Amino acid sequence: MSKELIRLTDCVMAFDDEVVLDKINLSIKDKEFLTLLGPSGCGKTTTLRIIGGFQTPTSGDVLFDGVRINSVPPHKRTINTVFQKYALFPHLNVYENIAFGLRIPKADAAGKKVKLAEEEIDRRVMEMLEIVNLKGFEKRRTSQLSGGQQQRVAIARALVNRPKVLLLDEPLGALDLKLRKDMQNELKRIQKAMEITFIYVTHDQEEALAMSDTVVVMDGGRIQQIGSPEDIYNEPKNAFVADFIGESNIIDGIMRSDGLVEIFNRRFQCLDGGFGKDEVVDVVIRPEDVDIVPEDQGQLKGTVTSVTFKGMQYDIIVDFYGFKWLIQTTDLSPVGSRIGIKIDPDGIHVMKKSEYSGLFGDYSSYSEEYEEISDASCGPEEEDSGDEE
Amino acid sequence: MRKHDRTGSRLIIGLMFLFLYAPILLLMIFSFNAGDSSAVWKGFSLHWYGKLFQNRLIMESVYTTLLVSLLATAIATAAGTFAAIGLYSLGRRKRDALLTVNNIPMMNADIVTGVSLCLFFVAFFQSWGAFAKWFNALELSLGGHALQLPERLVLGFGTLLLAHVAFNIPYVILNVAPKLRQMDRNLMDAAQDLGCTWMQAFWKVMLPEIKPGIVSGALIAFTMSIDDFIISYFTAGSASSTLAMTIYGMTKKRVTPEINAVSTLLFLSVLVLLVISNVKEARQESRERQGAARRTTAMERLAQKISEPRYKWVRRTAAGALACVFIASVSILSYATSSRPVVNVCSWGEYIDEDLIDQFEETTGIRVNYQTAESNEALYSLLKSGGADYDVIVPSDYMIGRLIAEDMLEPLDYSQIPNSSLIDDRFRHLPYDPDDRYTVPYTWGTLGIIYNTSMVDGEIDSWSALYDDANAGNVLLINNSRDALGIALLYLGFSVNTTDEDEIRQAYALIEDANRRGVFQGRAMDEVFQKMEGNNAAIATYYAGDCVTMMYNNEDLAFVIPKEGSNWFLDAMCMLKDAPHQKEAYMWMDFIASTDANLANMHYIGYASPNREALERYPDYYLEQEGEELDPEIYDIMVAPPETLERCEAYLNLPSATLSLYNSLWTQLGTN
Repeated sequence: MSKELIRLTDCVMAFDDEVVLDKINLSIKDKEFLTLLGPSGCGKTTTLRIIGGFQTPTSGDVLFDGVRINSVPPHKRTINTVFQKYALFPHLNVYENIAFGLRIPKADAAGKKVKLAEEEIDRRVMEMLEIVNLKGFEKRRTSQLSGGQQQRVAIARALVNRPKVLLLDEPLGALDLKLRKDMQNELKRIQKAMEITFIYVTHDQEEALAMSDTVVVMDGGRIQQIGSPEDIYNEPKNAFVADFIGESNIIDGIMRSDGLVEIFNRRFQCLDGGFGKDEVVDVVIRPEDVDIVPEDQGQLKGTVTSVTFKGMQYDIIVDFYGFKWLIQTTDLSPVGSRIGIKIDPDGIHVMKKSEYSGLFGDYSSYSEEYEEISDASCGPEEEDSGDEE
Repeated sequence: MRKHDRTGSRLIIGLMFLFLYAPILLLMIFSFNAGDSSAVWKGFSLHWYGKLFQNRLIMESVYTTLLVSLLATAIATAAGTFAAIGLYSLGRRKRDALLTVNNIPMMNADIVTGVSLCLFFVAFFQSWGAFAKWFNALELSLGGHALQLPERLVLGFGTLLLAHVAFNIPYVILNVAPKLRQMDRNLMDAAQDLGCTWMQAFWKVMLPEIKPGIVSGALIAFTMSIDDFIISYFTAGSASSTLAMTIYGMTKKRVTPEINAVSTLLFLSVLVLLVISNVKEARQESRERQGAARRTTAMERLAQKISEPRYKWVRRTAAGALACVFIASVSILSYATSSRPVVNVCSWGEYIDEDLIDQFEETTGIRVNYQTAESNEALYSLLKSGGADYDVIVPSDYMIGRLIAEDMLEPLDYSQIPNSSLIDDRFRHLPYDPDDRYTVPYTWGTLGIIYNTSMVDGEIDSWSALYDDANAGNVLLINNSRDALGIALLYLGFSVNTTDEDEIRQAYALIEDANRRGVFQGRAMDEVFQKMEGNNAAIATYYAGDCVTMMYNNEDLAFVIPKEGSNWFLDAMCMLKDAPHQKEAYMWMDFIASTDANLANMHYIGYASPNREALERYPDYYLEQEGEELDPEIYDIMVAPPETLERCEAYLNLPSATLSLYNSLWTQLGTN
């Protein structure tokens, strides 16, 4: 990774007293694949639109290469965007869609407007068509293309202008699962090949983890955590991040001393430290980090209340003293059986209490929560916060 | 059972369409009638279409209509499109509220829109006048002359255009808004993201997207503009007249086949516009439905080709040429209207031989802006509203009295109208203008009974025939309170100008009684022509000059001025107080007062001339023009002989109390 390209300092966005972004600070490096991740209404699209120039922050600064660009209009930024649902121009064919940006006269170094020669335009459009695997589709109308093909045209249309930064607003939201996986790889490949910065907005945590160099988790107009996918998954900063990224059991605990946390009146070894003595904390235990053992050998003992076969593993819900956990295991334990569990020290992650404590990580209403999760991933968000105004 | 139901509903639909389209079809058929009757078919002819294109009143109003419609459409389309775009950048609640507000003017009655616009313009002109006076005085006191603001503004082309723009904008917004709603909101962002300024993005992306909406909006606006009568009527003032207004003015006297012809053309052109816009819409819908499977048409391939960058010069040239043509036509019009001296004349429809206008313009170089009003009362209210800018008007006797009483007429300098000496003594020193200070008589005539000899037993010589059960169901009551009550007064032996309420109520009782007994077939003005010519009614009351026309078309008709006497009327040219073009007005009045002009008018209109020489020479003139002798009986109908005229009484201006009694009685009759 190299030098910093974009910096947001204390960016606030408010519509009629409704604060959509609350003092966002963010640094984006050159040639980085950065993902803004969060549920709908978290402010990720607004952040993207501020970077793209479609919205001007109410307060705070946007710096590009060290220059303040708060009020520079979109057409003067060396940033291009792939929009939600692509926003291809319906009255133009594939070729003309891609050539659109090239046909606009641009100011050269001396400030004079210059037009690209027709041959140059043709060369660059054909080159882009090759990169996105759409050779031979030049004359097609955009309405004659499949979703994935339209997606590629949108990417080509943006990239043909050779931007320094490409913004992608939920670009894969409208595609089916299989196509989505392919396009994830495709995007990663294109980013590597073009050597430019991608800023990617999604609410799909798997997508974020799979593609990004850096993930920015947002909620309620604030950044909850910035880090590599591994950091975000393994060391979530609070209950929100822990819950949003993957599955988590989040349990109240008391930090008895560094490396020793108490859950349900039982002490567990852990790797975390730096908390106050007897501080009340949130403890995250990932479902796959729990080992099932015979009841008499377990650190905790509970009853299986629900089993779901998931192919690679079973998702089972276990009741420990009235608190329900999700555990992923390859061994079947039938409903009603008593089991014991063991957790290794590196399977326990301790977080400070936050405003999100107590909101997430309880599986007592498992089935409903599960539906919610699958609902959220089945379609793109129609409108992010504030767009309507 | 099912099948039976179907037939019933088909029948109803068929009847409905018949009811909707039969009148229009009839009008179209009669526009090809060789004769000039609207009831009797005399063979196929394109005669009236030919006449139409020679009728300068119509051609001028066609030009005005097209110009107003085109300009108003262009302005309203641009304004409405941007207004719609503006609406869409607002929040949903504000936008919906504003769209509702936008719909109100379309629902609003045209008459309210028209009157309110008229009031607004007149109010503005008044405050503008005050401001201009103050400004000019101030400038003068500062020693400057550079900019003199006009102090007097009147209704005219400008206000007409503004009014049309105003009522067209909502239609454009209504058509553009749905296209904007359908458009992906990210498209504009995408275009700007790719390097367009907002304006470039508008031209390159938004415009092609919402173009169907703009085109259909423009088409509807254009149709509305061409069609509009009521709003134009209130805002056009004296200087301009749209086609619809001209047609309405022409129907004042009777529906000539010329009107049928122009209505047919108007109907067809609006039909074509509507068909185009509907076909466009249907095409687009099917295009959207079919998606990929559609084949491009030749037109679209051409459009596609033209839109390629290398054909830019073609597009530029075409746009330039169009703009030039448009500017040229506008400037020709403004040249024609502004640079030549002009006289503004307001008269009645079909009330002049239009060749006279051409002759006058050729000999003097003065442009005649000839407009028509549909009644004395309408003219009066137009003058009172301050919206008119006429020099010469041609009101009837009683209205002249009223205008003089209200100091609205300019005393005339008869030395500038030498031909006024040719006016026969009978038409001098009449009660409405006893000292001959304000008027130059134009035409005169009498009111009498026209009846069908084959439908009535014996000759009619009394007004009693109008109220006689023997003619039940065959009498047409003249649809004009003054004439209808006046005749009843005469029959009862009273004066037509009585102010005695009891006498007027007696006259009303006479009519009401006959009405209850079913003597009257109905009330009629213009319909008299069709009814009488087509043998659909036996007896009617009408004006002598028009009765002559009817008698030419139906030989069974006869005319009589009953023994109880009748009304005789006279229309005279007057100059409005402070008329702006007095010199030209005098030239016009002198020209019209000449014997030649009187002969031509008498022949064309059928009403008698007040010119002594013209009255004497008319039989010879008729022989010259028609190649046959004028029937002396016909001459006596046109020009009532002195002994007949003796029996006739002219209307005087009635006091307002009497006028309102007339009105309320007349309205009462309508409800019984």
